[in-house]
Amino acid sequence: MRGFNVLLQKEFREAWRSWKFLWIPLVFALLGMSDPLTNYYMMDILNAVGNVPEGFEMLMPELMPLDLIQASIGQFQTIGLLVMMASFVGAISKERANGMATLLYARPISFAAYFLSKFVVMSTICFVSILAGFAASVYYTSILYGTLDIGALLVSFSTYYIWLLFVIAVTLMMSASFKTVIATTCAFTVIFVGQIIDMIIGIFWTISPWKLASYGIAKFRGTIEMSDYWWSLVITLALTIICIGIGIVMMKRNASMIKI
Amino acid sequence: MMEELAKVPWAVIAPLIIVQIILMIVALIDLRKIHATNGPKILWVFIIIFANLLGSIAYFIVGRKQS
Repeated sequence: MRGFNVLLQKEFREAWRSWKFLWIPLVFALLGMSDPLTNYYMMDILNAVGNVPEGFEMLMPELMPLDLIQASIGQFQTIGLLVMMASFVGAISKERANGMATLLYARPISFAAYFLSKFVVMSTICFVSILAGFAASVYYTSILYGTLDIGALLVSFSTYYIWLLFVIAVTLMMSASFKTVIATTCAFTVIFVGQIIDMIIGIFWTISPWKLASYGIAKFRGTIEMSDYWWSLVITLALTIICIGIGIVMMKRNASMIKI
Repeated sequence: MMEELAKVPWAVIAPLIIVQIILMIVALIDLRKIHATNGPKILWVFIIIFANLLGSIAYFIVGRKQS
């Protein structure tokens, strides 16, 4: 783990200079705001743009505060993940392509330290982002709908964070293994197609990392078994560690892909 | 006029406006500093200012040329 601190500082500085610490959290905050707002003002929005016929009546579902947090998590799952993966997927492969890696790989750094420093910085950005997203969502929910249980929030927050760690690990592993274009395709396939498959035929199994995002809330509602939750958590963490390991190995092997 | 302004639910709208303004300013500062963008710079200025929220986000994702 030679030079881990130095590399960590470099990564932090780079993330800071490219404003990643500012705009990704802001995007997540926006996503968190959107769901409570649109649900609350749905009737007004329909009246304003929907061409609702005279005498039309609609029964709106009675939403609980927890439902809105779940809806916000749904937003993070699609657009949030898209933004996050799109900005992270070039982390290693782009450095190889534009020659920056030449400067680094010529020095006696350990690949594990380099990979982990990237992982740590990205997970920090993720943490700040979903903190902003949850804060925005909770703010609007508590203004418009009612107060939330703090325990449910903490559980769903940490569960979602573990799922995001898995996403980052997959993204970085792909970035270490392939060129940027292929890495993007593969990472998106694993995360999004995985979600779709889980949505379509997911009723046949109860333990999978892709289910974890919705388990945080479901655990609090008591609609799932506790053992399923814990097993999914353990498997996700294990897969994260495996992805990191593969990523380090692939990074070392692909060091010859550098363009000078 | 003042009554109209007071009727606006500021607790609901203010955070949205603040986030929007921060994103726009940061995107413009970054655009001022950066060496080259994907596509002409003046185009991005218009996109950031007029396509308010999505414009700044789009700039950060595809507009910045990292080198």
